[in-house]
Amino acid sequence: MKRRRLAPLRRLGQSLFLCLFLFLFIKTDYQGSDNLQYAVNLIFRIDPLVAAATMLAAKTFIILLFPALFTIVFTFLLGRFFCGWVCPMGTIIDMSHKLARPAPNTTDWKHQNLRYYILFFVLTGALFGLPLVGYVDPFSILVRALTLALYPAFNFSSESFFTFTYLNAPPWVNSVTEPLYAFMKNYILASDPRVYTLTLLSLSILLIVLLLETVERRFFCRNLCPLGAMFSLVARFSLLRTIGGENSRCGKCQNCRSTCRMAAIDHNKAVSMEKCIFCLDCIDACPKKQISFGFAFKLAPISMNISRRGFITTAISSAAIPLFLPGRAISKRPNPKLLRPPGALSEQDFLTRCVRCGECMKVCIGNGLHPLFLEAGLEGIFSPKLSPRLGYCEYNCTLCGQVCPTGAIQKLSPEIKKKERIGLATFDKNRCLPYAKAIPCIVCEEHCPIADKAIKFKEVELVNDNGQRLVMKQPYAIDELCIGCGICEYKCPLEGEAAVSISRPDNSRLQKDALSY
Amino acid sequence: MDRRKFIKEVLLWSAGLSLSVPRFIVPGSIHAAEGAKSTLSFTEGPDYESLVSRALSSLGGMKSFVNPGDTVVVKPNIGWDRTPEQGANTNPIVVRAVVQHVLDAGASKVLVFDRTCNEKRRCYTNSGIEKSLKKLNDKRVELDHIDRRKFVPVDIDRGKSLTRREIYLEALKADCYINVPIAKHHGLSKLTLGLKNSMGVIGGDRGEMHHDLGQKLADLATVVRPKLTIVDATRLLLRNGPQGGDIKDVKIRNALIASTDPVAADAYATTLFDMKPQEIESTVAAYKLGLGEMDIAKINILKS
Ligand code: SF4
Ligand code: SF4
Ligand code: SF4
Repeated sequence: MKRRRLAPLRRLGQSLFLCLFLFLFIKTDYQGSDNLQYAVNLIFRIDPLVAAATMLAAKTFIILLFPALFTIVFTFLLGRFFCGWVCPMGTIIDMSHKLARPAPNTTDWKHQNLRYYILFFVLTGALFGLPLVGYVDPFSILVRALTLALYPAFNFSSESFFTFTYLNAPPWVNSVTEPLYAFMKNYILASDPRVYTLTLLSLSILLIVLLLETVERRFFCRNLCPLGAMFSLVARFSLLRTIGGENSRCGKCQNCRSTCRMAAIDHNKAVSMEKCIFCLDCIDACPKKQISFGFAFKLAPISMNISRRGFITTAISSAAIPLFLPGRAISKRPNPKLLRPPGALSEQDFLTRCVRCGECMKVCIGNGLHPLFLEAGLEGIFSPKLSPRLGYCEYNCTLCGQVCPTGAIQKLSPEIKKKERIGLATFDKNRCLPYAKAIPCIVCEEHCPIADKAIKFKEVELVNDNGQRLVMKQPYAIDELCIGCGICEYKCPLEGEAAVSISRPDNSRLQKDALSY
Repeated sequence: MDRRKFIKEVLLWSAGLSLSVPRFIVPGSIHAAEGAKSTLSFTEGPDYESLVSRALSSLGGMKSFVNPGDTVVVKPNIGWDRTPEQGANTNPIVVRAVVQHVLDAGASKVLVFDRTCNEKRRCYTNSGIEKSLKKLNDKRVELDHIDRRKFVPVDIDRGKSLTRREIYLEALKADCYINVPIAKHHGLSKLTLGLKNSMGVIGGDRGEMHHDLGQKLADLATVVRPKLTIVDATRLLLRNGPQGGDIKDVKIRNALIASTDPVAADAYATTLFDMKPQEIESTVAAYKLGLGEMDIAKINILKS
């Protein structure tokens, strides 16, 4: 009798959740109304690691992250089902496994406790003001790579293809490709080509996670993922349990052990709920059908092998590192070009709350938000900044505050958003055309969205190169009106640097901090 | 990466399958005869659909511009993320009424588009034009965003300041191009009217156009030539144009100007702002190029 295999069922589940994840990713975009229709940041809101780290950093309860509690309850009921069936990172790792040539499954890297250290370090760090969760959370790694690298590349290659067919292919080909392109533009592709900073860096981090598959299967999940570690801590009490071949009529084949991607089955064929992700491979592999599921409550001791000294060292170092941060020059003179999104918390709070997920950069309708590199210090990498020469903040848009899962960017009402100051515009008279070259230009003023114009002109009589007397309209910015949206810098027609640029000349974001201490 | 470079690379990958970006030559003969007396219709009233109907009927009806089966471009101003009340974009009811007439005249396709200044989807939505055209529920109407593959380089033979520019293919090859600008204030050119509305069909960086803007707009008008210009003067943005934002700057005027002569339409629209046509550089430059009449006294004005 042919046995019914169960793994395809799991693969189907994984595919469905991956599709849902990608759907929400693509929907992280303007949808024709000021408010987003979907909970596009769902994946981060059900992420208990993000929830724990953010709440420890903020030292308050954040209602937005409440759904993470369900994941914990869910894990208590069904163990690490999430890792095996839902997690898009796990699915992608499993998919890429086919491309890698991995070591056999039973080999066990010796440091599988590392993930507990990482978890502990991240959480104590969050408490003491060291923002690290974004660098190890699997969804942050994944969404960042998608936003900054993979999706733009997908868009570029699609556009290249359809441009090629449009220009070169015979009409009958175009009668197929053009409707397809129109469909893709409507539902899948970005509305305009996007560019980002740190594209290759974010891609590399994801690639490293995938390449680790050549060392052992689900290397990231077994050894590094702090979210998985968090699930493990709960899953050992999981009500749903995998019952292996221990104390049974099990033979000596070891099929289950060699097939297990998580090395969850020990020599006695007991299955560790800390590790098992319900991939169902062992059930398919067991010739004697000795493996089954059952509901039971067990007070399972933690199997990790972490010394007390290890924990103390971790805690001390995560508490000590933040002491070094205020000694840096940037805490006295922050980079004036470091413009945070509208509604961002004060600098210190922002840095500790932001989980570097990249949602705001994905949604930014003006392509103005980009991950920064070192401008805010080593621990600020991948947090968002507005780069007005690359994109600007659209006056009527409030999307970044809507997608930020942690409240690092506050959700602002349109009225408040339109008054929220990101920075201030200043003119470089050595470059600005009406000053430097007696050439008329009003592009910045034309685009300034403030109804009574934060850019105004003074009319000055000038003599140009040809000796002509001209009345030149020379622009200047009015600080009281300017909100630093950056469209003037973005649209400035000069090559290279714009003649008007946005900066934070004051230390306002820092001063806010000083007061709040 | 800019569009030209992009297309060049695509062509390189295709290993020279095609050798150059297609060029578009605008033949002089397709344009309406120059020199005949310009006729202009000026209508007033609070019902915008009737404004459009009356304006068109005094010019002989849409059938005199659109033949059955034609592909027609209706080019409103949808440049800004502003609502109709703010008077920065062409009024959505006016746009819909014009499109309706084009459909009734038997057009096989009506293309409506603009190259926007703010984010394009927000402009299409907030201008109210997307919603308004959806109400027509007619498959022949296509409100698409600009497709960057469709800009073609065009030599502007008669241009004085602008001799070559990328122009949107659909605007060039349509059987009938209808320009539907909104009349409003502009910081540099004083007003933006019909000629300035053609900025929405050119490619590349538009910022540099502002140097010698009036002449450049006139040069552009030698190749982008509407059969009909309908100036929306239902709301006049008097200050802080072209994007406005404060309804205190908007005057409700409930008027519409329609003409086959783009210069005459602009010239007459100027008078609504208590200004003279001579004050608008693009009008003067276009007049000098022989593109139309700017002397109000010489225009045949039909009021209704
Ligand atoms: S930065 Fe501005 S344009 Fe970008 S998402 Fe935020 S509000 Fe919208
Ligand atoms: S600020 Fe941006 S990157 Fe940071 S948590 Fe919010 S959405 Fe994610
Ligand atoms: S940044 Fe520029 S465009 Fe934006 S409000 Fe200030 S002056 Fe106006």
